[in-house]
Amino acid sequence: MMQLSQCTWTFPELLKRPAFLRRSIDSISSRSRSSSKYPSFMASASTVSAPNTEAEQTHNPPQPLQVAKRLEKFKTTIFTQMSMLAIKHGAINLGQGFPNFDGPEFVKEAAIQAIKDGKNQYARGYGVPDLNSAVADRFKKDTGLVVDPEKEVTVTSGCTEAIAATMLGLINPGDEVILFAPFYDSYEATLSMAGAQIKSITLRPPDFAVPMDELKSAISKNTRAILINTPHNPTGKMFTREELNVIASLCIENDVLVFTDEVYDKLAFEMDHISMASLPGMYERTVTMNSLGKTFSLTGWKIGWTVAPPHLTWGVRQAHSFLTFATCTPMQWAAATALRAPDSYYEELKRDYSAKKAILVEGLKAVGFRVYPSSGTYFVVVDHTPFGLKDDIAFCEYLIKEVGVVAIPTSVFYLHPEDGKNLVRFTFCKDEGTLRAAVERMKEKLKPKQ
Amino acid sequence: MKEMHGLDVDPLTDIAICSGQTEAFAAAVFALIDPGDEVILFDPSYETYGGCITMAGGIPVCVDLDPPHWTSDPNKAYEAFYCQNKSYNIEQVLVCIINYHRKLYGIKTAGWRVGWAIASACIASTIRNIHTRITDCAPAPFQEAVVTALRIPPEYFELLRSDYESKRDFIIKMLAGVGFRIQFKPQGSVFVFAELPESCLLSDVEFIKESIKQAGVVAVPGCRFFHTMPPSDKRPPADLSYQQRYIRFAFCKSDATLAAAAQKIAGFSDARGRLKLF
Repeated sequence: MMQLSQCTWTFPELLKRPAFLRRSIDSISSRSRSSSKYPSFMASASTVSAPNTEAEQTHNPPQPLQVAKRLEKFKTTIFTQMSMLAIKHGAINLGQGFPNFDGPEFVKEAAIQAIKDGKNQYARGYGVPDLNSAVADRFKKDTGLVVDPEKEVTVTSGCTEAIAATMLGLINPGDEVILFAPFYDSYEATLSMAGAQIKSITLRPPDFAVPMDELKSAISKNTRAILINTPHNPTGKMFTREELNVIASLCIENDVLVFTDEVYDKLAFEMDHISMASLPGMYERTVTMNSLGKTFSLTGWKIGWTVAPPHLTWGVRQAHSFLTFATCTPMQWAAATALRAPDSYYEELKRDYSAKKAILVEGLKAVGFRVYPSSGTYFVVVDHTPFGLKDDIAFCEYLIKEVGVVAIPTSVFYLHPEDGKNLVRFTFCKDEGTLRAAVERMKEKLKPKQ
Repeated sequence: MKEMHGLDVDPLTDIAICSGQTEAFAAAVFALIDPGDEVILFDPSYETYGGCITMAGGIPVCVDLDPPHWTSDPNKAYEAFYCQNKSYNIEQVLVCIINYHRKLYGIKTAGWRVGWAIASACIASTIRNIHTRITDCAPAPFQEAVVTALRIPPEYFELLRSDYESKRDFIIKMLAGVGFRIQFKPQGSVFVFAELPESCLLSDVEFIKESIKQAGVVAVPGCRFFHTMPPSDKRPPADLSYQQRYIRFAFCKSDATLAAAAQKIAGFSDARGRLKLF
């Protein structure tokens, strides 16, 4: 790679350039900023304004934030903010969805062995062949569909990157994409990066059913894709076969693609998980996204994938090659081992999580929350209004500081935050002791307003 | 940064850990580029830069470095700032330097996908925010491992540098010996960008195809690193045929591999030792 020293511009030559160019290089002008949609935890949780005397002595005064206009609203994620506050206040973290227990030994051992075997250089861009095969095999087991691992499976750095690559690879500026709110926060951000027009359809309690009439009116000739997350974060809703059938026929009729985020597919408790791609006529217009992290309690490994027909995989791979180029090599080898786990692994996973869910749900009901039924994922959403706080953000702030438990305010997952102000999300991907301790703290310190 | 460059950066505010340098670049581009913004690249340049900028809606503007020493003509860069941007409404210019960090290449774990972006806090903050929406985080166990790697004593890297210098010298001697034109020893990276022998009438792509078929040696055609800009009022048509005359060879390989490559290439040399792949 060229070293800067090979450039023949000398500093005196640079100074001869027109004054305004020099001025531009010397001083960075500020750009306008719109107001943040995120709650004001920033004063205590921000990584930008963390005071540091040494930095103040060696740096110039802080400059205003630089950000591309279409992404100005995306600040530090709510998950980061809440996790930092949890640490600061010694609160039990039932907010961000990562387990406080480790993944299975056999998968960790496979990663260690891969490192020792020297599998530490760049992997093939779209995935280590063995992992592509393992994904295809698993997909066949789950959906009955046979796919070509070389042409229809693409490995990415987590499902987060699968989402980014799918949006950036297949959506053009101005395309309409329909989301169901509440939605995982990276959807809106990556759609904004792609220049899409976002249409949001709100799922409402108590059962978060899809409002079909609203969906039918939302689809237009400009609709390029619908994004479905099932099992659904944060509500735990699972899209029923009837819902998926109606959506499928709308997509076929209007030539609309479907992007499905199915990372919680193995945490389906109340009904079987259904992949949209398995419905008649849908595989050819569906990108199915998934990952290792939730199923195997290895959320930090960042191994994800897409399964899609070749004419859609092409765009995903193009974008992926400019986002990360290749995915962590030793972890891919280990992921292939993980995906070949026997059925007993998945059965035990569901049993464990069912027990955890029972502890949390019964506990939350006893505390006085209105708990909405969650069929899948490791989340439940609850109505916090019995406790008299003005909105979800105020409630979560109170919960951390006065009770010592972290939940996530759901309003950040809506295009219209008002729609989520009564709801907060708890996770049960923690060991049973932690869940019980959190419930005890809430029973002791959280009292419904009479 | 302090040790290598004498720079005091604040670890809390000035650094974004990303999933490899590719993603650090992508996060920076998406964080800072609005559709229509221009980004100046110096050609030859790594292929993903232009692709990523285009994906973000930006416009890559390439300034050709001049062979054979890849020097920069200040007038070309000046023209790039003005010729492309007809309204002369440049709000600001940000400079992005991509550094193949010697320590990460030194520990030879390119497949671990840990990289970073360092910038003033106002920019690093945005890069972090966008990075979390692209991949969320770099692989957690390897972030820990890289901490260890960055604390390896300098003696290890001195030995490593010496080792790579030998590999570089070996491959240059081998390539020059069969007629490739190498005007200078690369001062960094793990690549040699060698010009095809004058007698070789093949393009870079044709040469690579023959090299694979006949000699069993693979390299990368240089044309992929050039992005030809159309001629303009102020830019006369230039002879750009050189852009199909370069081959990039990597020498980050074991001595055995380099020796095997040398042997295979020697097998396709004529009596004078000149390459005869047609």
